[in-house]
Amino acid sequence: MSFALPQLDAPPTTTSTRTHCPYCAFQCGTVLTGDNALSLKIEGDAEFPVNAGRLCVKGWSAAELLGHPDRLLKPLVRGAFGELLPASWPVALDRIADAFRRIQAEHGLDAVGLFGSGALTNEKAYLLGKFARVTLRTPHMDYNGRYCMSSAAGAGNKAFGIDRGLPFPVSDIALSRTLFVVGSNPFDTLPPIAQWFEKQRTNGGRLIVADPRRTPTARSADLHLQLTPGSDLALANGLLFIAIEEKLVDAEFISSRTNGFDAVRRTVLQYYPARVEQMTGVSESALRQTVRWLAESGPSMILTGRGPEQQSKGVDSVLGFINLTLALGLPGKPGAGFGTLTGQGNGQGGREHGQKADQLPGYRLIEVDAHREHVARVWGVDPASLPRKGRSAYELLDSCGQPNGIRGLLVMGSNVAVASPHSGSVIERLKSLDFLAVCDSFANETAELADVVLPVKQWAEEDGTMTNLEGRVIRRRKAMASPPGVKSDLDIIRELANRLGHAEKFTFASTEAVFDELRLATAGGTADYAGISYDRIDREDGVFWPCPSEDHPGTPRLFGERFHHADGKAKFHVIEHRPAGEEPDAEFPLYFTTGRYQEHYNSGAQTRRVAKLSGAKPIPRLQLHPELATLLGIENDWFVTVESRRGRVEFKVEVSIGIRPDTLFAPFHWGGRHAANLLTNPALDPTSRMPEFKLAAVRVVAVREPDFSAPEVSA
Amino acid sequence: MRKKLAIIGNGMATGRLLDELIRRDALSQFEITVFGEEAHGCYNRILLNRVLLGGAVDDITLKTAAWYAENGIKLRTGAVVNRLSHAAHRLWTADGQEHYFDTAVFATGSIPRLPPIEGVKTPDGKWKDGVAVYRTAADCERMRSFAKSGRPAVVVGGGLLGLEAAKGLADLGMSVTLLHLFDTLMNRQVDKIGAVMLRRAIERLGITVRTGANTKAVLGAKRAEAVLLGGDERVSADLVVFASGVKPRIDLAQQSDVPTNAGILVDDRLQTVLPGLYAVGECAEHNRQTYGTVQPVYEQCTVLADVLTGANPNARYRGSKVYTRLKVVGIEVASMGDIDAKDADDEVVQVIEEKRGVYRKLIIRNDRLAGAVLVGDASAAAGLARRFERGDSLPANRLDLFASTDRAAEPVGGAVCNCHQVNEPTILSAVRSGCRTLQDLAARTGAGTGCGGCRGQLASLLLKAGKQPATVSN
Repeated sequence: MSFALPQLDAPPTTTSTRTHCPYCAFQCGTVLTGDNALSLKIEGDAEFPVNAGRLCVKGWSAAELLGHPDRLLKPLVRGAFGELLPASWPVALDRIADAFRRIQAEHGLDAVGLFGSGALTNEKAYLLGKFARVTLRTPHMDYNGRYCMSSAAGAGNKAFGIDRGLPFPVSDIALSRTLFVVGSNPFDTLPPIAQWFEKQRTNGGRLIVADPRRTPTARSADLHLQLTPGSDLALANGLLFIAIEEKLVDAEFISSRTNGFDAVRRTVLQYYPARVEQMTGVSESALRQTVRWLAESGPSMILTGRGPEQQSKGVDSVLGFINLTLALGLPGKPGAGFGTLTGQGNGQGGREHGQKADQLPGYRLIEVDAHREHVARVWGVDPASLPRKGRSAYELLDSCGQPNGIRGLLVMGSNVAVASPHSGSVIERLKSLDFLAVCDSFANETAELADVVLPVKQWAEEDGTMTNLEGRVIRRRKAMASPPGVKSDLDIIRELANRLGHAEKFTFASTEAVFDELRLATAGGTADYAGISYDRIDREDGVFWPCPSEDHPGTPRLFGERFHHADGKAKFHVIEHRPAGEEPDAEFPLYFTTGRYQEHYNSGAQTRRVAKLSGAKPIPRLQLHPELATLLGIENDWFVTVESRRGRVEFKVEVSIGIRPDTLFAPFHWGGRHAANLLTNPALDPTSRMPEFKLAAVRVVAVREPDFSAPEVSA
Repeated sequence: MRKKLAIIGNGMATGRLLDELIRRDALSQFEITVFGEEAHGCYNRILLNRVLLGGAVDDITLKTAAWYAENGIKLRTGAVVNRLSHAAHRLWTADGQEHYFDTAVFATGSIPRLPPIEGVKTPDGKWKDGVAVYRTAADCERMRSFAKSGRPAVVVGGGLLGLEAAKGLADLGMSVTLLHLFDTLMNRQVDKIGAVMLRRAIERLGITVRTGANTKAVLGAKRAEAVLLGGDERVSADLVVFASGVKPRIDLAQQSDVPTNAGILVDDRLQTVLPGLYAVGECAEHNRQTYGTVQPVYEQCTVLADVLTGANPNARYRGSKVYTRLKVVGIEVASMGDIDAKDADDEVVQVIEEKRGVYRKLIIRNDRLAGAVLVGDASAAAGLARRFERGDSLPANRLDLFASTDRAAEPVGGAVCNCHQVNEPTILSAVRSGCRTLQDLAARTGAGTGCGGCRGQLASLLLKAGKQPATVSN
């Protein structure tokens, strides 16, 4: 039984709206003028302190998606002959509700799973989590942030007792004298952040970058540590060895503000420069220079990205750099400390509000009784009725269609068929489901496999909050009406809950009302939003969590006085280098690593459809060193077929000195036969369950010359 | 019932082996007892010069005595194992105690190799005062106790350890003479030219070097007063330190009828000829090779832990390539594989920079790196070691192997401003036609007005192109 719901959000009253870019975690402030997709103009919001008016090429061109001809404007339902056909909303929603009801009746509650996204607003993430735990009562809900931020999150929680990507405002970067960026290429991935690097440089600061690739960020560095893939942890331990040897550690900070240094000190004694040089490929002189600048030329800041994090030892790798930061006494001072550069638009908020298999809103843990009780009280349910911890993202997908695995899946805002490691296998698993539903604006590679596809509103058509890479809660504001025929993800969740008998738990007058419930659910938790309101966000250009009450100013900078473990101290962790899930060997002698282009975002489901972006980067190019090219007897623009133990992909080659001779790089923004993730290894980190996107062993099995007579076809 | 695993020796190999065992949850299978002669937990021998220079042993201690207890491992310090019976599954310590074991591991390490020299010991068999070897923390403490600033010292041995000891004593203010039997210093790691570079660097520190020096005796009735060389030359010394290399410590194995050669013979599983008895580290001889550096020992420990715990029953040790990387007397040295050509077809690349004291040499065989020697600047060592280890084929221009990778390079070609798709030629031509500031460039090309990510690059292009004379347009 279904019934229509009122429109959640009031139509906009002005034709100029301040909101934020739909893409990455930098969440640039934008000003939208116009009230329809064709006339909409995007400008950088000069008043918003994070991007101060700057936007990257993706941000400038984001309006193209709103009125894009490929946009889904009607639900699609798989028909009798296997094709996706337009259907009405009630029919499509009924199909999902019926399928879930039937699967759960036949195979148990655990047979239905949900897959969320770091692109969803806080309100959506929260409501989707509530839907999983209260309505479907399945433990198996996870999200693509598992592929993005989970290792940094795990390390932050272990070391600091809290996980906020940057524990300081991004403007602190300009205050640092020595800035050490490990495994991140923000000039391409968070381009408007470059202004803070620029200010830092103008202020006399230095930049050190550790990356196997000579990226634009690395090229602008004073020192580039071109390390061997998978050796970040050894690098961190090696730097700490030198800091101790050269008596550059901050003994006072270590004794008053941390625990566990002595055990780390002893472990690190084994990471003497000669050994670390061999493990990392970074020369001893560069190692020493790095430590001396960090220790003697402060304030110093260490930022990690997906490089060290997307490994089967991702958590330990990040802990290595946190150990170094703590030993040098950096955290808590302006322009200094440790941070991680969050990737997805709401990668921060998305991991705080219960989309993760082990979490409840406010960064509460689903296995802690007191946490279950608090959230159950807000939701008006028996704590015992809440499911326990479920499978992590890759494990959830890998269980699809398997005995005791997932049989019905709803995916919201994530193109898992492209974004997952070993994607060939993931696609097979998705195909083996009894039922798959996908909510998205475009018919992406995952939607192509679905039984029901629901078209959703886009960023400029909806309200909500996002939490950016600094932990600043900001507002996404509606600028224009959505096309008829699409619904917001929130409406979809509510409609499904209604059909599954939980209308009363999902009755909200507005998006703001969802946020107000989220505030209650997070109150007293680690990520405490209780004091944050839409009004305050409007007035204050965002509010930093934790913010426990309306009269609390929010917390732009953490760790000045204390860390978030019970005793107020940070914890050192003993960590040791270990091989990757798969190291190159005689059979597969090369490293393969993945990453991003400036012009594209995640699986490319959106950016590949924007003419300006796909024009600049129409296909993935395999980056390969000239020395290897000579060895293979190939030149720029040739094609090579790369094979791992899991799949093979043919790439067009870009011969470049920007990469190590033993390493190949390809971006992961494409699906189908160009999908880099056909090659990647789903070895998982034991704590974060992060797959090893950053390193697989591969070989080149075929090369061919370009055929200049044929036109280049974009993927 | 857990099996009893006895580990004889408590050096770096044992420390590493314990870590690897614990990581594989070995304590659920084994009750582990470690027999160590020294009073403390294991320490990092590579850092011994810190103790020589006055540091505490604790500064270089990898595992404290408490660590063993916390991890459920029995540590017997001051325990010399002097007898072992494979048949009876028992070993005996010098104090007469008997210990049962199911499995035992020799990790006895190595001992200093002493040249046949008279007068090093007193008639009662003790070291003469002022005479020391350079091997253990206790040795370093002993050296320190005799080291007096301004007084003469002699170090016998011009290898790795000898150079380190000489540097340490010089740092303590002693007037040091280094005696080396061979013509070239560090003759196992460095060729003749490299050795000359090394020697010059050492002499600049005020250390006197005597090569081809045959040390005959330590003179002095109660304590060392001088060293007697071949040709009856006397070199006076308050302190004489022997650092003439090490040899595997195999006395216990020999007495226990465990087959040995230079070291204790082991197979690919690190097992001796006798089942249930294993050997690891410097005391072990695998495929006619013994090892004295840390990395091969660590590799052995990984395999042995896999074998003992069954974590990876197929684990095999296939030998290690020898790579030495150190800073001796303040100058960087790296050495791997062959240090001189062996075959007529071997390519030899040598770069000699006499003024800078830098020497770099490659031995290339079948387009693979067969060896390298770097003295004075070892920044290329990491990359070379990798190629050596992996057996990668080499760039056609061999000198590319010496290229530095850690300094940022100038950007080349392509789009500079991605937001507005402005490429380098456009920017350069704008500069040539008069743009002198970022604002000029932005006004003319739009470059740098998007995300601003390229502004650093733009600035350097401005700087670079601005130095060239502006072209006259016609």
